[in-house]
Amino acid sequence: MLAEIADLQHAEMLLDWDSRVSMPHAGARARADASATVGRLAHERFISDDVGELLDELAPVAEELDPDSVDAALIRVTRRDWERLRRVPAALAGEMRHASGIAVAAWDEAKAASDFSIFAPRLERQLELKRRYIDCFPPADNPYDVLLEDYEEGTTTAEVAHVFARLKPALLSLVDELRDSEVDLSPLRGPFPIAKQKEAGARVLAAFGAGTGDWRLDETPHPFASSPGLGDVRLTTHYSENDLHSLFSTMHEFGHGVYEWGVDAGLARTPLGSGTSSAVHESQSRTWENLVGRSRGFWHWFYPQLQEIFREELGGVGEDAFYRAVNAVRPSLIRVDADEVTYGLHIILRFELEQELLSGSVGVHDVQEAWNARVRDYLGLDVPDDAHGVLQDMHWSIGLIGYFATYQLGNVMSVQFWRAAVEALGDVEEQFRRGEFVPLRGWLRENVYRFGRMYEPRELLRRVTRSELDPAPYLDYLRAKFRP
Amino acid sequence: MTENRKLDRLKELLAEVDDLRKAATLLFWDQRVMMPPSGSEARAQASATIGRLAHEKFVAKELDDLLDGLNDEDYDYDSVEASLIRVTRRDYEKAARVPPTLTGEMRHASAMALSAWGPAKEKSDFAALLPHLERNLELRHRYVECFEPADETYDVLLDDYEPLMKTAEVREIFDGLKRDLVPLINEIGEAGAVDDSFLHGEFDPEAQRAFSYAVVRRFGFADDQWRLDTTQHPFMCTPGEGDVRITTNFRPDDLTSIFASMHEFGHGVYEWGVDPSLQRTPLGSGVSLGVHESQSRTWENLVGRSRAFWRYFYPQLQQTFSQFALVEEESFYRAVNKVQPSLIRIDADEVTYNMHIILRFELEQELIENRLALEDLPGAWNEKMDEYLGVDVPDDAHGVLQDMHWASGSLGYFPTYSLGNVMSVQIWERLKEDVDVDEQMERGEFGEIREWLRSHLYALGRKLTPQETIERVTGSRIDAEPYVRYLREKLAPQPA
Repeated sequence: MLAEIADLQHAEMLLDWDSRVSMPHAGARARADASATVGRLAHERFISDDVGELLDELAPVAEELDPDSVDAALIRVTRRDWERLRRVPAALAGEMRHASGIAVAAWDEAKAASDFSIFAPRLERQLELKRRYIDCFPPADNPYDVLLEDYEEGTTTAEVAHVFARLKPALLSLVDELRDSEVDLSPLRGPFPIAKQKEAGARVLAAFGAGTGDWRLDETPHPFASSPGLGDVRLTTHYSENDLHSLFSTMHEFGHGVYEWGVDAGLARTPLGSGTSSAVHESQSRTWENLVGRSRGFWHWFYPQLQEIFREELGGVGEDAFYRAVNAVRPSLIRVDADEVTYGLHIILRFELEQELLSGSVGVHDVQEAWNARVRDYLGLDVPDDAHGVLQDMHWSIGLIGYFATYQLGNVMSVQFWRAAVEALGDVEEQFRRGEFVPLRGWLRENVYRFGRMYEPRELLRRVTRSELDPAPYLDYLRAKFRP
Repeated sequence: MTENRKLDRLKELLAEVDDLRKAATLLFWDQRVMMPPSGSEARAQASATIGRLAHEKFVAKELDDLLDGLNDEDYDYDSVEASLIRVTRRDYEKAARVPPTLTGEMRHASAMALSAWGPAKEKSDFAALLPHLERNLELRHRYVECFEPADETYDVLLDDYEPLMKTAEVREIFDGLKRDLVPLINEIGEAGAVDDSFLHGEFDPEAQRAFSYAVVRRFGFADDQWRLDTTQHPFMCTPGEGDVRITTNFRPDDLTSIFASMHEFGHGVYEWGVDPSLQRTPLGSGVSLGVHESQSRTWENLVGRSRAFWRYFYPQLQQTFSQFALVEEESFYRAVNKVQPSLIRIDADEVTYNMHIILRFELEQELIENRLALEDLPGAWNEKMDEYLGVDVPDDAHGVLQDMHWASGSLGYFPTYSLGNVMSVQIWERLKEDVDVDEQMERGEFGEIREWLRSHLYALGRKLTPQETIERVTGSRIDAEPYVRYLREKLAPQPA
């Protein structure tokens, strides 16, 4: 029964991938119909009474099972998902889907016009629906907990707030310390011909172990990773002549892809067959983008190759200058372009505003002002217009409220996992200097990826790192790397 | 429930089935064009599930009840409503007769046979495929038994590909073709060989791709609605309205890709032209394989191998490939229309192609009626090749093993290729009454031709039966005479 649902999800994921990568433009309407039908059938099948009855029958069996066994995990996760999804009436789910469709179009228009007032009523509607969604669940300490639980099972608002409360002053003071440091960014100003960027990306992927028959790399405006089925991992990236972002986005998406790729084949076609949470997923994309892809060891190995590819563009730039340029810290307006240090502040700002919006302590009509004030406080910047401020991300338009926090939790976790890896593998940077990434990938697969959703995110973290969610290693890492 | 409510509910259920079929189509396309090879096992499972769900949804009791409560005669015969009820009823009755276990067995057997076919063809080893063919044939017999007895067993198989067509009708048409084409082939043979040596050589695949794009874009391939990709075996599919995907194969040593692109464009433009009001219903696609093939052959042959077409495109081809600089347009035209008996169906010219089909049609009937044992099939094949085309089959790879159809379990499919050829000229002749096709094509204009075909034929989708469709478009029943006349006028040796 679950395999059938997984097959429908496989189709749904491919319909989505195709619509973003290969579908002719005019196919959009028919594709929306097909995706909706396939998605609805998968949903209906999953929340059916049949699944519930089966779970009831299995309850006594589950008690006999080793809690660490696949079967026990399967029963536990299925019950959890089933109960959560059953709580939301089909009518509300339909309203939410419909509202998102409208809101994303309004967001597009508002961003293009840099006019928040176009989007404001849609955001109001999304918040209202989110409140109704929250009402479907038993009362939580904080209503925001319910939203967070969708992306980060087992983590409460209070816990996130606690972690962020420790990060915020530390990041602010680090930004302050770095404010006057001068970094020459000219090595990263192209033009970098796209064909050459493709070659560079392909070389990195091959060294990471994604050059084989399991992988694809395509081009889309917004990069993403998708794995419709076992043995089928698809990454996308975006190329711009003016910079080398494509390289980092390729490594970022590789991190998402390699997590899915590494899930044990025995978990395929079950609810256990994917990454365990948004934050753990992000910890891996950030691992490969930042901890690997912005490390000295990596660039020591790769920079000579990059220079060989971009002979004219980078021939006269030394390795050290290049390394410093890709690790420059400077406050900026746009989250997705932010460096490792200031990134966290972008997230904290959103996390705070989301809670205030949800509780109503900040009204939709005040959010723009609140946003701009906080950007001034945290980053010392003036927001020139909404497109570079409150309208920059699409998340709220598609109803992703509670999601942003997982980005920064991912950063935090990435260094926790990393420490465990280094403890086991020794000096991984030394391996990177030789272009060896397979030992790290192997360790992560063995200790993190293969478990899929067998363990809740926090349980996985505990098993791998023997510790709770803890921002200290992450802060130590940032200080060691970026302090002058 | 009122009749209108019933009809709305029927449309709702059918839209759901259609969405699943579209998803299955995309899974199929993606597997051939995009998917990393290691994804094939998961894909096979997902495809099987989607296919099964689409079938289950279609044969559901609710749909049967709704159909029972609806009467197509309450509506104008030509209305979408009447057609929807008629066609769905017919599809439902066919689908409901076949037990899912048998469908599953057939699907499994054909997958097994297909994977054995590749290596068997490679090694020219018919014995390796024989047990699979035996299994396929046995399953086909069981399939036939699911239906009411027909005049001929073969009728049941044919009906899957050419609905309502009878074996006897096909036989009559093919006997006529055989009678007229065998002498034509002989006449052409006696006239001496046409020089086509310049069609073999080195042709940069990238230049071929650019040329294919140039041609199909003039035909009406718009980038926001179409895709052209590369696969070993060219095909066409439509994973949704406004989304037509064709593939071709660029071989570095000849120009067959151009003709494959035009062929697949013909399939694609038929689907593209189906009236939008028929989308997400069982009426929203081409009416039969034969009629579909009539359109692929129209764009490949009637357009793409015509003098007028090359008058426009040949200078462009000469610019693309320098080896044609000194080849006259007329010589080139004759070369791409060269008639010569050969071993391989898919490489055959317009005339001899039909003999390849007739041979398969005859053998298929002998097999399904147990008049020919499978182990004697290669011998029978080789004998007929000698009789119809005067060629010696050197090995089974170039003979009975060349096509995948029988391995995939498709029995009754082949005749639709030649029926398509026959119908293509019937439709074309009617079109020529309204449009000066040569004058258009010489100027590189294809819009009027396409539009005529769209409004007269493509838009109908599956609203009418194939026979009715042809009668509406041409004013007559299926008839081989115009086709034979066309072949003779175009290809018979001119008296010196």
